Amino acid sequence: MALELVCPAGTPSALRAAVDAGAHAVYCGFADETNARNFPGLNFSPAEMIKGVQYAHDHGAKVLVAINTFPKADSFEPWAKGLAVAEEAKADAVILADMAVLDHAANKHPGLRLHLSVQAAANTPEAIGFYARTFGVKRVVMPRVLSVEEIAKLNAEIDVETEAFVFGGLCPMTEGRCALSSYATGRSPNLSGVCSPPEFVEYVEDAEGTTVKLAGFTIDRFGRDEAAGYPTLCKGSFNAGGKTCHLFEDPVSLNAASLLGRLAEAGVTAFKIEGRQRGKGYVAEVVRTFRAAVDALEAGRDPVEAERILAGLVEGGRQTSGAYRKQWR
Amino acid sequence: MLDNQSPELPRPFRRLAAALPSWPLEMVLTRALRSLAERRPELFERLGVHSRCTFIVRPTDLDYAFSVVPHRWQGRVKLVLPETRGDVYIEGPLLSLLGLLDGTLDGDALFFNRVISVRGRTDALLALRNAIEEAELRPSDLLGVSGKAGQYTDAAVLRAIGMLQRIATRSQPSDTNPDTDDIPPHPAGA
Repeated sequence: MALELVCPAGTPSALRAAVDAGAHAVYCGFADETNARNFPGLNFSPAEMIKGVQYAHDHGAKVLVAINTFPKADSFEPWAKGLAVAEEAKADAVILADMAVLDHAANKHPGLRLHLSVQAAANTPEAIGFYARTFGVKRVVMPRVLSVEEIAKLNAEIDVETEAFVFGGLCPMTEGRCALSSYATGRSPNLSGVCSPPEFVEYVEDAEGTTVKLAGFTIDRFGRDEAAGYPTLCKGSFNAGGKTCHLFEDPVSLNAASLLGRLAEAGVTAFKIEGRQRGKGYVAEVVRTFRAAVDALEAGRDPVEAERILAGLVEGGRQTSGAYRKQWR
Repeated sequence: MLDNQSPELPRPFRRLAAALPSWPLEMVLTRALRSLAERRPELFERLGVHSRCTFIVRPTDLDYAFSVVPHRWQGRVKLVLPETRGDVYIEGPLLSLLGLLDGTLDGDALFFNRVISVRGRTDALLALRNAIEEAELRPSDLLGVSGKAGQYTDAAVLRAIGMLQRIATRSQPSDTNPDTDDIPPHPAGA
């Protein structure tokens, strides 16, 4: 099976940038709480989604619509509407996490191809088999906490496609079940679609650098010449065991370009780039670089120096192969 | 890569910018903002409730800042002192800020690399950033010029900015971005 490069788009212009840069598929979502990247000013209206899918199809690319948060008890309507619009837009697949949304899609929109979001945190053959049998899920997005060996073992026991993140923000938690930010803000990515709701984020500049606050709690400090990261609690700096450090995760970006071959051997068929909240400049450069890397891999050419090319775009100024090569400190 | 993305405006051009009369510039920029709101109202919808916020955009290589209230046809741009109060503050070299406007540079990357700094209401800042991302602004949009004249304006201004960037980069010390190629040999989380 041909490898597929799945690229992010937070706006219609980013979708066009991704398609023009060589994305095989673009993933994006609606501007509401159905979307795990629900930031102010970001995402697509229904009309923009329809035009976006048309643009991608005209240029030979697919569009996968992420409707990947969990509905609250009293409001299923936005998720049902999202599925209907995705079908009307002729999306190539929808990326879902919640079982009721999966059930609704399977029963009311049987023509839609279903992908299981990383937010569903399905990382065992049993869980994946359940989603495949019950809802007809065709692809599973792998949690970012598995090693290449673990993915290979998993792929040997399932018969759906797997998609793995290869670049961008890392998540060290069990995605879809992380409530860390809700301790500070009362909101979580699972229900509200944002790890750190921006209205709770504050940057305070002084002579020594930048203090990052979330809901009034200081979560990190960066010196004037020190690279910065995203303002999430998982990347905060804490005092523990007599040390101050980034306890859960360093501010650092995933870059698995050097592992594409091993991931393909492990049975991964789609490589995913994170960053729907990023700009066109990021999307164009990262997609172009990874498309060249995928083409080189398929043609047996020398690997692309993606770490060098993308060094200026990464969080905290650093890159890591993350859990794919587990060498935890 | 960010190698050449944070050069400061060379001194002669700073002097030239300082000599610009403020009211014609304010008038041109305000008219361009309102004209954009008329032509592309969907961009301003992305701002939502934040369109009434005051954004202070301060090029660190100029002596003044821009105060922008992007409230559709009532939007306005003023040249103000850098310490003027606002809801959101964005600071960085002029050429980097221009790169954000036309979408060639990524705001998060500039923030990570400390090329730009931000303060104030982060939700309003994100809404503005995302609206600008979608806008795909060209120089002619900012100057309120359309048609053939707009195309000539775009070509001329982009050429001028490219030239400025080359001059600014040449006049920068070589160690302005010491960490750019500093890739750790091991995973940072390892």
